[in-house]
Amino acid sequence: MPSHQDRDEIPPGTLDMLILQTVTRRGESHGFEIAEAIQRASTDVLQVEEGSLYPALQRLLIKGWLVGEWGRTAENRRARYYTITAAGRKQLAHEVESYHRVAHAIGAILRPV
Amino acid sequence: MHVREALRRLGLLLGRDRATAELEAEMRLHREMRAELLRDGGATATDAAAEARRRFGNPLNHEEGSRDMWGLGSLDDLGQDIRYAARRLRHRPGFAIAVIGVLALGIGATTAMFSAVDAAMLRPLPFPRPQELVTLPQVDVPFDPGTNGEPLQLRRPGPGQQFPKSPNHQLDVYDVVAMRAQFSHVAAWASGGLTLSDPEHPRRLNVGVVTADFFTTLGVPAAIGRAFVADEGRPGGPKVVVLSEGLWQRQFGGKEMLQHTVLLNNKPYLVVGIMPRGFSFPKQSDIWIPMSLPTTFETFDAFRGFLPSQVLARLAPGTTVDLASKQLIAEWQRGISRDPTAANASDLPGIVNDLRRVGAAIPLQQSLLGDRRTALMMLLGATGLLLLIACANVTNMLLSQAIVRRREIAVREVLGATRARMIRQLLAESALLALTGALLGLILAPASLGLLRTLLPAALAGVAPAQLDLRVLIFAALLGLATGTAFGLWPALRTSGGALSETIKAGSGHGTTSGGANHIRRGLVATELALTLVLLVGAGLMLRSFQQLMGLDRGMNTEHVGTLEMSFRGAAGGRAATLRLIEPVLERLQATPGVAAAGVVNDLPLGSGGGISVTITVDGGPEPKGDDRPGARLLMASGNYFKTMSIPLLAGRSFRSADDTLAPPVAIISAGMAKAYWPGGNALGRTFRVFGPPVTVIGIVADVREITLDRDPRPQMYFSIYAETPMNVALVARGALPSQALLTAMQAAVHAVDPSQAVYHVRTMDAVLSTSVAPRRTNTLLISLFAGLALLLASLGVYAVVAHSVAQRSREFGIRSALGATGFDLLSLVSREMAWVTAIGLAAGLAGAWALARVAESLMYGVTPHDPLTFIVVPLVLLVPVVLATLLPARRALRVNPAEVMRAE
Repeated sequence: MPSHQDRDEIPPGTLDMLILQTVTRRGESHGFEIAEAIQRASTDVLQVEEGSLYPALQRLLIKGWLVGEWGRTAENRRARYYTITAAGRKQLAHEVESYHRVAHAIGAILRPV
Repeated sequence: MHVREALRRLGLLLGRDRATAELEAEMRLHREMRAELLRDGGATATDAAAEARRRFGNPLNHEEGSRDMWGLGSLDDLGQDIRYAARRLRHRPGFAIAVIGVLALGIGATTAMFSAVDAAMLRPLPFPRPQELVTLPQVDVPFDPGTNGEPLQLRRPGPGQQFPKSPNHQLDVYDVVAMRAQFSHVAAWASGGLTLSDPEHPRRLNVGVVTADFFTTLGVPAAIGRAFVADEGRPGGPKVVVLSEGLWQRQFGGKEMLQHTVLLNNKPYLVVGIMPRGFSFPKQSDIWIPMSLPTTFETFDAFRGFLPSQVLARLAPGTTVDLASKQLIAEWQRGISRDPTAANASDLPGIVNDLRRVGAAIPLQQSLLGDRRTALMMLLGATGLLLLIACANVTNMLLSQAIVRRREIAVREVLGATRARMIRQLLAESALLALTGALLGLILAPASLGLLRTLLPAALAGVAPAQLDLRVLIFAALLGLATGTAFGLWPALRTSGGALSETIKAGSGHGTTSGGANHIRRGLVATELALTLVLLVGAGLMLRSFQQLMGLDRGMNTEHVGTLEMSFRGAAGGRAATLRLIEPVLERLQATPGVAAAGVVNDLPLGSGGGISVTITVDGGPEPKGDDRPGARLLMASGNYFKTMSIPLLAGRSFRSADDTLAPPVAIISAGMAKAYWPGGNALGRTFRVFGPPVTVIGIVADVREITLDRDPRPQMYFSIYAETPMNVALVARGALPSQALLTAMQAAVHAVDPSQAVYHVRTMDAVLSTSVAPRRTNTLLISLFAGLALLLASLGVYAVVAHSVAQRSREFGIRSALGATGFDLLSLVSREMAWVTAIGLAAGLAGAWALARVAESLMYGVTPHDPLTFIVVPLVLLVPVVLATLLPARRALRVNPAEVMRAE
């Protein structure tokens, strides 16, 4: 596990996309699960100040891309479970596509000559 | 989609507490699960909790970030900022009261002045399309002497004489009516007073005498009935009247009045219409009666035989004031070239030049405002300066607070508050202070409105009263917000941000002020002093003017004199009946114990400014040429009038009852008239003519300042009331009685002779004098008040800066006095920097005052704008409190005990 200093900040503006992607893949998840999943999936390269997940989740709720339902965890604790909506899926597809376009363009610029 | 998003936001807004609780629960769960995971990995409970918190970040920040997402963040924060600011201010009541008080003064004064300026200059006149209304100076209202009516005897042609037709060339109303491309409506009006005959309550009314086109020109039709038609007002035509809504309600209780008759000066007038509520142009008119065109003696029969008339017009569509003015001037010039032999041919180029300067068509609002514009602007400027001084003062207070608060704020910034948030919070505090100040100022403003009303010309009083309305409220609120930002932003910027750790490390106690802050504070004080000096110079010049004016020889003594006015127009019996009333009234009064003398005059000095001037021919005098033709004010008085008013009889004798219509005409003339027409010679016994037999000069009296105090007296001539009996008189009586008793005795004397005789304007001559100088006195009073307040604020500013500087440097003073510095050394150390500030402030202020004084030149009397006395004395007036405000706190430097200071470190 790389030490904390080696972790990279999540590029600005991509947190929404990562959350939407994670919830799509995992299905119904609560906040802590989403944070863990993002870190695990990025093999711990991406670091998110865990608290900053929550303003992002609020934004996605307001946008109507996620819905939240209160439920119980395996340990019987109350947690809010997030599920993606149709609009959220559409938004994710849109963001992924534009991300790839930008990444491709940047890659082209950085390609060694 | 967007609608649903808005609904979701609204849901969060309404269930905000629940949403916040849910969010907190969610975030707490997150930290607990993280800590559990870490414990499972082998960390101790404490370490795990700490690491979980670290990885989560500041929960408050995230919560705030979430609330921002809900879109309520800023509103929420604003409420919080204001609540916090209010709490902080409650903990510092002294500071809050000082700031709010200072601001209330500044904002209250500015708001009250604004309401006056707004009424007089900014608010459009309450007529349709008021910008089209113009007055036309110099345009004549044609007069037809005719043969009807009973003109003043002096004007009546003698046997075999023709009434002199005006040989002057003059542009008149008919010429203007013909200019259809420029003017759509033309009307003339005059303003006078009549008595409403009523057995119970005779009332003096303001009367508008107006042509039939007057109401259509203004665009205001009658609310009930109709206005005038062209035929009314002609000699022998029906006597009709239009009532104001106010009079209709007050006097007649709003009952049916159309086709009813009212008695004005004992003559019946038929009511044909009632104007809408609030309409009282010109000059707070209660009623309107028609003016015929041309006017005749009968038009003004009810008045003193003459009223000055003015011409009002409405611009035709598609023209402008400038264009109309140019066309009028062109008409004047056409007239000059057409009629080069006119008697006033030599005056005409002068008239045209005047019109070029002031405009041949002047917007109505501007002409109603008259010469008050400068005074209003000067006072509004003065309140503006006062407000600036108040702001500088408050900025200084906030700055010293800011130094104390720097630590608190630095700590909060370390704890994660953003700088923007801190600035917003500090601004919320100053805005709260400013708005409270504005509110308090608004409460103070109405109290000053009564005073301000005397500043507004009487011509505007009925049209545009000064009042606190929504505009003024908005003005005050904006002023409050603007000042709050102006004086709050700078300290807020200084307080927040910067090197946090240093601020915290720098420790407590004296706080640390950078040199920059002190420079600013001193700069603010220098500015305050400069602005104060400008106001003081303004006040000084106004006070000197007022002193000069009141010190003038008025030619009479107004003390212990009472006066009331009566009108005999329309009374049965004419001249003889009038004398039958006046004579016994005067006899009764002179027999009253405590009354020394009593008399009557047709025009009370300083009373109304009306009156008649006539041209005369001096027997044996040089042939008149151009505008040098001799003229004089025509006055009619009883023999004891001069004694009553203490007008010195310089030569000859006063009137006797034998000086009547049967005796050869005699006159008493003023010293000025004697000097003007009989230079070098004794005027006594010489003769002059006023359309008739020669009049012999039997006495010479002092010149009386009778129009206004600041106008030099014109030549004056008095005729005996037995020869020329006026239809309106002012009764005057001098006595040692208390003024109220004197006035009661005067009314009793009139009513003992004729119980039905209406009297009006019952007042002391001192009150008449006081009213005549009221606008000037108000100007002087207000600017002196503003200057005084400015002086107080500036002194407080100096005091605060010195006190702060002494407190800050107490360590240094302790060390210095330990090293042997004397008290004087320390005092001069403290005073020296304030001396510089004062010197700079004074120099800037003097320069500013020198430059600005000219602006107010027209308001001065008997002093030059650069009056040396004012410019020498005023800086001294400013220096005294400044020196006191420096030395008082500076003394504290002397009391610093070196040992204590050292120990405190």
